[in-house]
Amino acid sequence: MHPGTVWTIYKKELTDTLRDRRTLIFMLAIPMVAIPLLIMAISQLMMSQITKQIEYESMVIVQGAEHATDDLMARFRDAGTLKLLTENEYRASDSTHKGDLKDALIAGDFEALVVIPETFDSAIESETPTTVEIYYDQAEMKSEFTVDKLRDVLDPYKEHVVEQRLKSRNIPADVIEPFDVSKHNVAPMRKLAGEKVGAMLPYIVILMCFMGAIYPAIDLAAGEKERGTLETLLVSPASRGDFVVGKYLVILTTSLIAALMSLGSLTFSINYMVKGLASEIGKMLMLQLDVSTVLLIILVVLPMAGIFAALLLSVSVFARSFKEAQNYSNALMMLIILPAIASMLPGVDMSYQLALVPVLNASMIIKNAVSGTVQWNYVATAFAASVVYAAILLFFAKKWFEKESVLFRT
Amino acid sequence: MIQANNLCKVFKDKKRGEVRAVDGVSFECKSGKVFGLLGPNGAGKTTTLRMLSTALKPTSGTAFIDGIDVEREPQRARKRIGFLSGNTGLYGRLTAREMVRYFGRLYGMQKDVIAERIDKIFTLLDMHDFADVRNDKLSSGMKQKVSIARSVVHDPPVMVFDEPTTGLDVMSSRTIVGFIKQCCNDGKCVIFSTHIMSEAARLCNRVAIIHKGKLYADGTVHEILSSSGCDNLEDAFIKIIGE
Repeated sequence: MHPGTVWTIYKKELTDTLRDRRTLIFMLAIPMVAIPLLIMAISQLMMSQITKQIEYESMVIVQGAEHATDDLMARFRDAGTLKLLTENEYRASDSTHKGDLKDALIAGDFEALVVIPETFDSAIESETPTTVEIYYDQAEMKSEFTVDKLRDVLDPYKEHVVEQRLKSRNIPADVIEPFDVSKHNVAPMRKLAGEKVGAMLPYIVILMCFMGAIYPAIDLAAGEKERGTLETLLVSPASRGDFVVGKYLVILTTSLIAALMSLGSLTFSINYMVKGLASEIGKMLMLQLDVSTVLLIILVVLPMAGIFAALLLSVSVFARSFKEAQNYSNALMMLIILPAIASMLPGVDMSYQLALVPVLNASMIIKNAVSGTVQWNYVATAFAASVVYAAILLFFAKKWFEKESVLFRT
Repeated sequence: MIQANNLCKVFKDKKRGEVRAVDGVSFECKSGKVFGLLGPNGAGKTTTLRMLSTALKPTSGTAFIDGIDVEREPQRARKRIGFLSGNTGLYGRLTAREMVRYFGRLYGMQKDVIAERIDKIFTLLDMHDFADVRNDKLSSGMKQKVSIARSVVHDPPVMVFDEPTTGLDVMSSRTIVGFIKQCCNDGKCVIFSTHIMSEAARLCNRVAIIHKGKLYADGTVHEILSSSGCDNLEDAFIKIIGE
């Protein structure tokens, strides 16, 4: 290999590529324009959904309301966004309300059913344990939120009862509260938005890493065949290996730029554009990307881009025409998307086996890094594995670039 | 000077099995002369020229460019060859100057030497007006000039033209023909392939007739005409290949 010649080839191909509108679209336009717009649209939609859910007045039916203490019922009725009906009130409100309450709940007639046991009042009085049951429909976001609202009533009431009992025994309330745990009801919202954004990030970065490589790769090999410039390269004194390496480095460059632009754009969009929309909830979605996380992501994306560049270059060298290379690339994209999506599945945990799977390993590591977990043993394994894969694929690209039957395929 | 000794090229084809695209072709072309390789499509002209220009490796036989074995020392041989074919394209997003400079670098030339050489070639071909315009925006005649400039940036003593006028319009074609004559006058050794007999008759000092990979005749145009007893190259061609 001749570094001088490789550099000449690299400079020429990079100039040529950067003048290609299709490459620029994937490298710059999508990351800088499309991604922020997408994030803005998604977050706006999510915000309005969340706000709607929180402000929504949930209908709750209380079965056995007559057994509840007056205090509890008063607390229920005072709760802001709860519309409370006793079973009798509910059945009287509409003649169709006759059947089983749980069926009506599943049908979505109301959000939750609270069952107060017959012995509730006396149990509280006699200080024996008892249970209040809440039925809800987890598949329904509204119903899930309602449970939180109900707990916001039940928990303070429980504390109140405990306090009363302690008081009657002349024990200060602090005794059972050695320390305070301040709880905030953010869990459902984070589930809704934060995790989705966190899981989306590796997917978008990987996809853009691949897309950033597609057009340069097609243009640099299949494009040379189609333009009839390949032969002029083959008869020049520069070695075929130099062409492969020079071209490979250009594809790697555009692929990395596309991936990093997307990462930067995603982080910026999420942290600045979402926060502006609704500060309270927006803050919870914020991606905590510090310098070390970004460096880690680069460390993972680099060898993956190396794999993509070699893979696409091989395919492009093999293809007879631009169109053929495009078809192969599209097929490859499906193969890339699958492992990228697999990391989003719940219950997929990092292991040494997974760290050896290209793309999936990067996807997992990025996802974990975003949520604050970095396992260096897996990062090192994934890095080494990906470098080896990229080297093998590059070797194949070189072999093909030296094979007459591939170069002059008709 | 080009020497081809018993050149053979066998391709493996899935449907047709082994195909002998070029089968024992030998000839010699001297400096300051134009040598024409004549034959119909699929005769083996392009394959022969590709072996001479080192794009393909011969299955057997040898070829020498100025005494350099193309198989043993391809890098050295390549520096002595300029290559141009009818369907050679350009990098559309580069300018003429950038493109020629790139090839100068690939041929291992120094930057200042390239700049000088570009200036000289662009003056000769009257290309200065569009030297810094992207190739995409050029007319076909201008594009042809860029191709020519690219092929001679390293001032090669041997020029290989593979069907240089195929698919070109009249003006571009004239530019090429003029350029081939120029090369010959400059003392370069020129080999070119064509299926257009009139073009061969007009340009060549010597012609070789090739058909189905085999060489049927080799001589000056006059020799070929007299030995076949025909008064034009086309009839002679048909008679020689016996169809």
